[in-house]
Amino acid sequence: MFISKLKIQQSLGLRVLVTNIAIATIAVSIIGLTVYSRVSTTVINEKIAISKVETRNALELTQGHFNISRFQDDTELQKVVTDFLTSVREDGSLSGRETVLLRIPNTSNVRDIYQTVPTLLSLDSIPKDFRENVLKSDEVIEIRSDIKYTNGAVNPGFIIGGKLQIPRSGTYEIYYLFNLNSQYQTINSIAWSLSLFGLLLVLLIAFSTRFLIRQVVSPVKAAAEVAEKFTAGDLTSRMEVRGEDELASLGRSFNEMALSIQQQISKLQNLSQLQQRFVSDVSHELRTPLTTMRMASEIIFDQRATFDPALARSAELLINQIDRFELLLSDLLEVSRFDANEALLDFTNFDMTAVIRKTIDYLHPAKLDSFEINIPTNPVMVDGDPRRIERILRNLVANAIDHSEGKTVRIELAESEHEVAVAVRDFGLGFNESDAAKLFDRFWRADPSRARTSGGTGLGLSIALEDAKLHQGELLAWGKPNLGAHFVLTLPKRRGDLIQTHPIYVIPND
Amino acid sequence: MPLVMVVDDDQDLAEMLSIVLNGAGMEVDLVGRGDEVVEIFTANPPDLVLLDVMLPGIDGIEVCRLIREKSMVPIIMLTAKGDTQDVVLGLEAGADDYMVKPFKPQELVARINTRLRRTAKVGTLKIGDITIDQMEHTITRAGKMIPLTRLEFDLLVALAKEPGRVFTREALLSEVWGYQHAADTRLVNVHVQRLRSKIESDAENPEHVLTVRGVGYKAGPAKE
Repeated sequence: MFISKLKIQQSLGLRVLVTNIAIATIAVSIIGLTVYSRVSTTVINEKIAISKVETRNALELTQGHFNISRFQDDTELQKVVTDFLTSVREDGSLSGRETVLLRIPNTSNVRDIYQTVPTLLSLDSIPKDFRENVLKSDEVIEIRSDIKYTNGAVNPGFIIGGKLQIPRSGTYEIYYLFNLNSQYQTINSIAWSLSLFGLLLVLLIAFSTRFLIRQVVSPVKAAAEVAEKFTAGDLTSRMEVRGEDELASLGRSFNEMALSIQQQISKLQNLSQLQQRFVSDVSHELRTPLTTMRMASEIIFDQRATFDPALARSAELLINQIDRFELLLSDLLEVSRFDANEALLDFTNFDMTAVIRKTIDYLHPAKLDSFEINIPTNPVMVDGDPRRIERILRNLVANAIDHSEGKTVRIELAESEHEVAVAVRDFGLGFNESDAAKLFDRFWRADPSRARTSGGTGLGLSIALEDAKLHQGELLAWGKPNLGAHFVLTLPKRRGDLIQTHPIYVIPND
Repeated sequence: MPLVMVVDDDQDLAEMLSIVLNGAGMEVDLVGRGDEVVEIFTANPPDLVLLDVMLPGIDGIEVCRLIREKSMVPIIMLTAKGDTQDVVLGLEAGADDYMVKPFKPQELVARINTRLRRTAKVGTLKIGDITIDQMEHTITRAGKMIPLTRLEFDLLVALAKEPGRVFTREALLSEVWGYQHAADTRLVNVHVQRLRSKIESDAENPEHVLTVRGVGYKAGPAKE
């Protein structure tokens, strides 16, 4: 199983699990190795110690036996020695022990009839310096050494060496070579058992850790999920609370917090819903009387030729103001729709240049001279709601004309790969920086005392900004007193994209 | 003179409407409550009904449904909420057209005239297995007459007159409803559905009024 570093960093549970397994493995290994080395040392040392004591006793006994036998005749003595050697060899073949009897060179001139070396054993098994030590020592001594055979086999083992006086023959070195195969077998089986138990222990720890993690981490995970849902707007999501432990109290606190937030939000929502509803209701309620007024005024207006001049002018003013009232009402409704998040976009793919031309024609068919229009002749296709885009542009252009003081109004279009920008620039009154922030506020007016020429509702820019936002677009404004103003609308060409670059900067380059 | 029934609880508006309509050469019957409509309608059937959505007694949507049960008379709904469910509900209940308050009197008169207009044309048209008799204002399918409202009839005729031509919703709005500017394309959608429910044997797989995806509608080929 491949566990990436990233995954471990991301999951608390996995991290705890991996750490725990690592620690358990190290601990089990240390304990296992210690036990193993203690056991193996003890087993082997015990064997050596026992063997040494037994060998010494046996040698002393034999030596005594030999010493008594010296008084008998040669044949008798020879029989005793041969019996001894035979019994030694027979014992050895049972216990995996080899016996070597070597005459010490240059000790006497008597026959070395008893020199014995097992046929398969290689004499290299007995190190030279050990032999020297045996010769020098009066005691039985031992050494760890591998036992080599002439057929190439090598067994771990040890050698016990001593001296044996055989009457009328001389002094012999006697070596017992013990092989430790059975001990090593025992040790190996212990090692296997240890490894197996170690592995089982690690697995057990791993499983119990997983179980623990599930107990502790999954509630934490669940809590995180609930919190995420809550953040995403699902205010009804709550944690499951079970028992009385720390996790339960965490859950309870979280739920209390969630409830309190939910209550606060719903309170605010109710308030703003009430307000939106009120605006919407008022706007609708005004429509029926407005319809009656409109029809009445049209009938009066149609008769104005028969009125005296003051009455005729009054009829004109009446109908103009009803138009304005109606505009205001529909703007108010639009704003209340934005506030209630009920504004819907009617997306199509349309040509932005056509919409710009249409806007200009609609607003000022007679004033084409006062426009400087820099738009490409080829179509620039954009995803959007052309009705809303046209409304934004109409607003910007009407505003520009209102504030241009009769100077040119420049309209330009520029595009990048993913964005299209339309800029409306006038060289009239402009506005100062402190006004820039309030420009898009509802019913805000740059100069309350200034005469109004176009009869806008004061909601135009605010609606334009909302329309731009609905398209994931931007509407930015720049202005300097007496240098004019510059409004730039930037839209993503594809539906759902976000703006990355600005084909036209809001700070004009002139 | 055509008789227009105005159903509105706002007395001033109703009076104003009758002044405007009288001025346009129409007779007006004023009704102030929703639950009085059916009785008066039966006693003195009008040529067209102007129906407000919000009414005391029973609401305009329900009134519309009741009228449709017994008559194919053109119905125009008056609503203060152009943006809500009201419009769709009204159209589904059988209204032919709707006007959002505040409207201009000329526009109202024009819209009423479009609905009252009887295009005196001769001859028969074929669309699928349906025969349209323009003179008699009837359509027959396999020898059986199918009752249609005048608007549904006009819609079918508009499509059948130019078989094979694909009509955009905007084109139909101008042809059938008489709109000069862009208007609510839901009008077309709802009425095409209503028309299909009457003339198609399987409204899910229409054979007479076909949808051209992304564009609009066209008439199905004539069958013998």
